[in-house]
Amino acid sequence: MKDLITIGLPSKGRLKEKAVSFFEDSGLKILQSDKERNYFANIENKPNIKIIYLHAKEIIQRLGDGTLDVGISGLDLLNESEKSLQDKIGIKQKLNFGGANLVVAVPDDWIDVQTIADLEEVAFDIRSKRNTRLRVATKYPNLTNNFLISKGVTQYKSISSLGATETYPFIGSSEIITDITSTGKTLQDNNLRVLKDGLILKSAAFLLVSKKKAAKLQPFLNSLG
Amino acid sequence: MKSKKLSEQIIKTFKNNGFVLSEPDVLLDSEYIIQRSGENFRRSMLTFENEDGKVMCLRPDLTVASCVKFLEKKSKSKIYYSGQAYRRNNKKGSDLVNDQLGIEILGSKNQLQDDFKVIKTILNSAEKIKSKNIQVKVGDIGLFKRLINSLDMPERWKLRLIKHFWRPKYFEELLERLEKNSDIDSVTFDTDKKRFYEMKKMEQGKVIAGRSIAEILKRFDKKIKDPRSFSEGKEIVKIIRSFLKINCKLPQLDAKLLDFANKNNLKENIFKEFKSIQSLKKLNQEVIFITNFGRDIEYYTGIVFEIFAGKKEIARGGRYDDLLKSLGAKKDIPAVGAAINLKNI
Repeated sequence: MKDLITIGLPSKGRLKEKAVSFFEDSGLKILQSDKERNYFANIENKPNIKIIYLHAKEIIQRLGDGTLDVGISGLDLLNESEKSLQDKIGIKQKLNFGGANLVVAVPDDWIDVQTIADLEEVAFDIRSKRNTRLRVATKYPNLTNNFLISKGVTQYKSISSLGATETYPFIGSSEIITDITSTGKTLQDNNLRVLKDGLILKSAAFLLVSKKKAAKLQPFLNSLG
Repeated sequence: MKSKKLSEQIIKTFKNNGFVLSEPDVLLDSEYIIQRSGENFRRSMLTFENEDGKVMCLRPDLTVASCVKFLEKKSKSKIYYSGQAYRRNNKKGSDLVNDQLGIEILGSKNQLQDDFKVIKTILNSAEKIKSKNIQVKVGDIGLFKRLINSLDMPERWKLRLIKHFWRPKYFEELLERLEKNSDIDSVTFDTDKKRFYEMKKMEQGKVIAGRSIAEILKRFDKKIKDPRSFSEGKEIVKIIRSFLKINCKLPQLDAKLLDFANKNNLKENIFKEFKSIQSLKKLNQEVIFITNFGRDIEYYTGIVFEIFAGKKEIARGGRYDDLLKSLGAKKDIPAVGAAINLKNI
C-alpha cells in the first residue's frame, strides 16, 4: 500500500499501556491480533496503519533506518543514540508519561561525596593513589560521558552495563553508576544515592517521526494529541 | 617531494644532536590507553576489535606511543620519531592522519639542561627549514602551580584549579564558582554527621564500592575541617586573572613577576625557581613569555613552548613529568619533548 504508515510502540510494561491509551485517547482504537504474543496490531477503520511492538531502543533504530514512520520512545534513548541517527529523527511532541531521570548515583555510605565536585576529587584520589580510574557503570555511555566531562570529571572509565546496573558497585564491577530512575526506589533499595547536582537528563516519552517522511505524515500527526 | 626533503633535513638535525630513532608500535591496546588517559580520550581514538574481542587503537599520538615503547624497555631515552598518528577530531576539516616528527628525552635527569636541549634542537631544525621571523613563545605550568599553592584557599580548590588549568573553558567556570563561593552545602551536613559516627564504629577496613570506610571517613573529616566557606574567593580570583594576563618579552619577566607579587601582597620568592625559562636568554632569539599558555594539552607539567615562523606555529613542546608514571611506570620518570608541525612548513 502506497500510503501505509508504520508505527512502533514499546512492547512492554507501563510504557506500552500508556502508549496504547495515548492512541485511544485520540480516537484510534488498537486491535490486537488474536494470537496473544503476536507483535503486530492494527487500528480500527484505518487499514493503512500498521502497529509494531518493539523494544523502546529498537524504535529509535528503526525510525532512523526508515522502517518505522512514527514511534513512541524515551528521550533518554534518543539522546543516547549516535548523532547520525538522531539527525534522521524528528521530535513531534512530549507525552505526559514515561517521565524518568538519568542520574549519577553513588553508594549511600560514601558520605563524603555529595556533589559532582566531590566526585571529581575522589576520582583524582583514586587515580593518584592506585593509578587506576574510577569506574562508572552505565547503560548510557554517551550521555554520561558528555555530562561528566562537562562537569570536570575526567579521570574515569565507563563500564557498559546491560541491566541491574545498581549491583555493580557492590560486586566490584564499578565504583559508581549512572542510571534511569522514575521513583528512585530501585536506587534506594540498593543502597545508592543520587548526587545533588547529578541530574544528567530529565526524560519522558516522546512522539517521534522519521524526518524523511515527516511531510507526508503531517495529516496523520495532526489527528493525534 | 619537498616535504620529504624537509623531513630529512630535520631528522639530520635531530641525529646530530644525539637523538636516536624510535619506532613505536602502530597498534596499541586501547583499554590500556583509556585506563591511563581517561574516558575523554576515547572519542579521539580510532579503534577496532581484533579477533579475540580485544579493542585495539591506532596510535593517537607519537609521544604517548613512544612512551609505551620506552616503558617496554624497547627504546633509548633520547629519541626522535617520524611517522603517522591517527586521531579523530571534532574540528571540521581536520585530518584523521597526521604526520608527526619530534623528539623526546624520556627519563630526563637534568631538567635545566634537557629543557634547553629540546628547545635548542627544535629551534635549530626550524631555522634550517624556515629561518625568517622566528619567534618563541613560552609558558610554565609550574609557575601557575606555585602561584596557586601560595594562595590562601581550601586545598580542594587548589587541587581543582591546578588539575583543570589545561581546560580553559571549564577553568573559567571554576573561577566563577570560586568568586561566588557556590560550592557549599550545609543542609545534608548534619545527617551525614550522624552516619559518620555510626561508621566510625564499623570495621574500618571494610570496602564499599572500592573505597575503605577509613578512606571515606578520612576524606569526610578533612572536608569538614577544610574551610568550605571563605570570603576571599573574589580577591583570589582577581589575583589569578591578573596573573594570567602577564605577557612580556623574556628580559622583562623578572621585573614583571616581582611587580605582580608586590602588588598582590605575595611573597617575593614564590616565583624563584624558573631557571628553564631564564636560560632561554642564551638562545639569542626573541622569546615571549605568556602565563596563559600551554593550556590545551593535559600532560604538560613545566615549561611549554611554541615556535612561530611569522604567524604560523611550526613546532611545539614541553615538559611532562607525570605522563610516564600515568602510563604505568613504577617510579617518576620526568620527560620533555617537542614536535614539528609539518603542515605549517
